[in-house]
Amino acid sequence: MKNLNMSQLFDKLNDVKLLFQYGQKVVPVLQSLVDFMQETVPLLENINHSIADSTAKIPKASDQINNVTNATELATTEILDLVDAISNNVSSIENRLQEINCAEARKAEIMGKLKSFVSGNQEAEKLLEEYASVDITAKYAEEISQMFPRIKDDSYNITLSLQVQDITSQQLAAVDHLIDSVQERLASLIQDIDETQIDEFHSEADKNESGIQAPEGATFDPNASYNKTDNRQDMVDAVINMEKASQAEIDKLFS
Amino acid sequence: MSLKFLVVDDSVTMRRIVANSLKNLGYENIVEAVDGKDALAKLAADAEINFVITDWNMPVLTGLELTKAIRADDKYTKLPILMVTTRGVKEDIIEALQAKVSNYVIKPFTPQILKEKIDQILANLQ
Repeated sequence: MKNLNMSQLFDKLNDVKLLFQYGQKVVPVLQSLVDFMQETVPLLENINHSIADSTAKIPKASDQINNVTNATELATTEILDLVDAISNNVSSIENRLQEINCAEARKAEIMGKLKSFVSGNQEAEKLLEEYASVDITAKYAEEISQMFPRIKDDSYNITLSLQVQDITSQQLAAVDHLIDSVQERLASLIQDIDETQIDEFHSEADKNESGIQAPEGATFDPNASYNKTDNRQDMVDAVINMEKASQAEIDKLFS
Repeated sequence: MSLKFLVVDDSVTMRRIVANSLKNLGYENIVEAVDGKDALAKLAADAEINFVITDWNMPVLTGLELTKAIRADDKYTKLPILMVTTRGVKEDIIEALQAKVSNYVIKPFTPQILKEKIDQILANLQ
């Protein structure tokens, strides 16, 4: 019985010894873990600060996008005003030119009569011929008249190209929405760490909210593109004429 | 048939471009609205308006909602509505057709396309 107790005691002592041996192995690992944590905490704090910093800058980026949209709209309006002014001036010149053409026709008529009056007077006939050769008004009036349709077409094409402003403003609104989404995600990340900071970002974001609204307002098409090929209109026409075109043909157009 | 157009777009640029294009096609009688709600008010106030050209993406009331609101009124079941939009996805076009737009033009449009669609709509009216 006594031997059995001693044997149990030695077993227990052996277990304690093993425990100490295991502890000796574990302690350095634990120490490394503590060291690692000590090094990681400042890094995590840095990441947190970076996220906070980036989040704080987002409303400004969003604001700048809105400023770009407003500036391009203003510039486009100014261009449209100028094109309208050019078109009006061209119309005025065109009207004046018509008056010149009428006057030229009348002048030619008078010249014809004059020629018949001075018939036989060589000096007068020579002068009239010379006058006709230096009078280039009729010739240039005709040339200038032919330029007007081109100027009008060019002006109109400038106007049509300005559709790009509407399309880019929709693209910018889509980017603005994306930025807002990123801000929300970052803000929720920070919220887990520091609730007070997030309140500041929200109030900052609210202050800077302007112009373009996120999708609830649905004021933009995120897929808007300035594409002047007829292909996209062909796709639309195919859908409209669905009874005529097969679904497979329509799907092929859209693929 | 004397036409009076209602051009609906939240972009002042697009309103001017569409209006200029209509003038180039010889249509001088044009009214403008900044969104769907404004368009409904203008339509209610002016019985002479007999052709609507609308954008899709607008604040307050979109072009699609405007189309549905117009079609919900028995007075306007045959009123021509031309959707002019950047939205070129098949589902969007089908949705617009289901809302009973008369035709559909993709931005950026050309004057030829605009004329073609207006002429088609008018031809279908007769």
